[in-house]
Amino acid sequence: MHMANELLSVPVAVGTLGAAAAGVGFVCQKAKTEITSDKFALMGIMGAFVFAAQMVQLPLPLMPGTSGHLVGAVLLAIILGPYAGAIAISSVVIVQCLIFQDGGLLALGCNIINMALMPSFLGYWVYRHFAVSGTSQWRVYSGSIVASLIALVAGAVLVPIEAAVSGVLSVPFYTFLLTMVGVHLIIGIVEGLITAAVLVYLRQVRPDIIAECAVNSARLSKPAVYMTIIAATVVIGAGLSHFASSLPDGLEWSYAERPDEPEFTAIISNESHAVAAVEDFQSRYSALPDYTIRGGAFGQSGPVEAVEAGAGWQSFAAVSGSAATMGLIWLVAWLLRTRNGGQDAPRAD
Amino acid sequence: MHHAQIDRLAYQASPIHALDARVKLVCALIFSIFVISLPATSVSILACYAIWPFAVLVIAGVPISFVLKHILIVSPFILVLALSSLLYDKAVVTVAFGPWRWETTGGVCRCFSIFGKFIITMAALVGLVATTRFSDLLAAMAKLGVPHLLVVQLGFLYRYIFMLIDRGSHVLRARAGRKLRNLGLADEVKTTAAIVGSIFIGSIDLAGRVNMAMQGRGFDGRFHRLTEMRITGADFLFAAILTLYLVALQFLRRVFY
Repeated sequence: MHMANELLSVPVAVGTLGAAAAGVGFVCQKAKTEITSDKFALMGIMGAFVFAAQMVQLPLPLMPGTSGHLVGAVLLAIILGPYAGAIAISSVVIVQCLIFQDGGLLALGCNIINMALMPSFLGYWVYRHFAVSGTSQWRVYSGSIVASLIALVAGAVLVPIEAAVSGVLSVPFYTFLLTMVGVHLIIGIVEGLITAAVLVYLRQVRPDIIAECAVNSARLSKPAVYMTIIAATVVIGAGLSHFASSLPDGLEWSYAERPDEPEFTAIISNESHAVAAVEDFQSRYSALPDYTIRGGAFGQSGPVEAVEAGAGWQSFAAVSGSAATMGLIWLVAWLLRTRNGGQDAPRAD
Repeated sequence: MHHAQIDRLAYQASPIHALDARVKLVCALIFSIFVISLPATSVSILACYAIWPFAVLVIAGVPISFVLKHILIVSPFILVLALSSLLYDKAVVTVAFGPWRWETTGGVCRCFSIFGKFIITMAALVGLVATTRFSDLLAAMAKLGVPHLLVVQLGFLYRYIFMLIDRGSHVLRARAGRKLRNLGLADEVKTTAAIVGSIFIGSIDLAGRVNMAMQGRGFDGRFHRLTEMRITGADFLFAAILTLYLVALQFLRRVFY
């Protein structure tokens, strides 16, 4: 469920980056006293453990040929506590972005919120309500399954919401939302089963780890959790209502409002003619349609045919010119490299 | 494995490698913002935006085929979304490219736009991480105000990630050698939990040993660097070229088109 750059608008990307930075900063501040220098290695290795654990695939029931794996956020939150768990999983998400290129640089904020902060805190909070230290195996099982399910689905629900608030979805919002929830319900159940089984295994094999964690784990205050949920609801609600008003027909591409091109809105500023203008525009725009639109927007009037032909040549020039430039750059680099020691570019394999 | 390849590439020498990690990180971010802010109707201008990551990768000596292969490996999610545009935006549009004109749907344009932006921003990201050592990237993050705890966490994570992945692959090979069929959900969950649990216990033990060794050598929670991070004239030149390039493209897009 790694969010990609392309699913976000710049304000949402920057806003979520800021929110994630503030969230991680707050968590680091809170965990400062808890995580001393002798625990740094443990924390880092716990993050690395998530990568190793994610390699262990479990064949999914009812879906032959598919398999799921542990995501690890809830497990680490339960064992290390929500703050340390959130830091460990945030670092995993950052490394996944920087080293494995899972999710883009701009989407990093969204991914940290969806996959690290939300599951760690929500999962931990739900788990604490089900299973307190020393409770029965059944409560550990049910608690971790419910916690994983809720935490993962909550993180997954944020993906379509963030994309919708960005206004870049071509897929209808509810289709995307239902798909994400459906898929993550299955993933959540698998996650919960593995988390529960790992906790039970650890209780049997190394009860000291679980006991130690239960004692040291931080407690979340109920008011703080409720306030967070209320704040999130308000923010999401405000975002969605904005999105609903600007995109009245679901997530169809809105030609009527393009914040990046204020002058474009002027064309169809007359509400009564909006639909006609959109249809007219749709029928005329080209693969590099901004060119055609822009011609109109800047008042470069002329026959539609002429504008389109011009756009065609401009797009052709852009692509071929870029290809030629890249060819030139490659040639110059190759010449310089061969002159500087006769070595070609290093091979990938 | 590709991560090892990225590591190897990051340890090479080139004018791009020599740049300050902070400058490269901020430039990659700004470049990505400009690409993402392009309207979905802009497709051909993406070719112009592709020049920057291409130039960075070529000058740094990073093989383009490796980058493209790597980007395609991580693309399934975005590919599904890009392709789903084909189903939902069926507005007929006329496409013009050079002397050719043909009719297609808005979904096709969106699909090209999404995938084009994805490839370009990913290439910019690979251009950053394949030319910057991870330790330099961490130092850059620390200088840019990322909390110390997170930077140290990332350092340790990166140090042990490949070791534990190797350990995981050994356990999985052992499982594959013994388990020759699907065992059913209950047994599969039990086996998976035992494997994950044993890796977890192994990790905790490893952390204990590492901690003792590091404390023994006087680790006080800080990473020390031999080199000092300094922004030089080359860094200013790099940032200036990017600024000029982005301004020129904005000018091109707004005035000529």
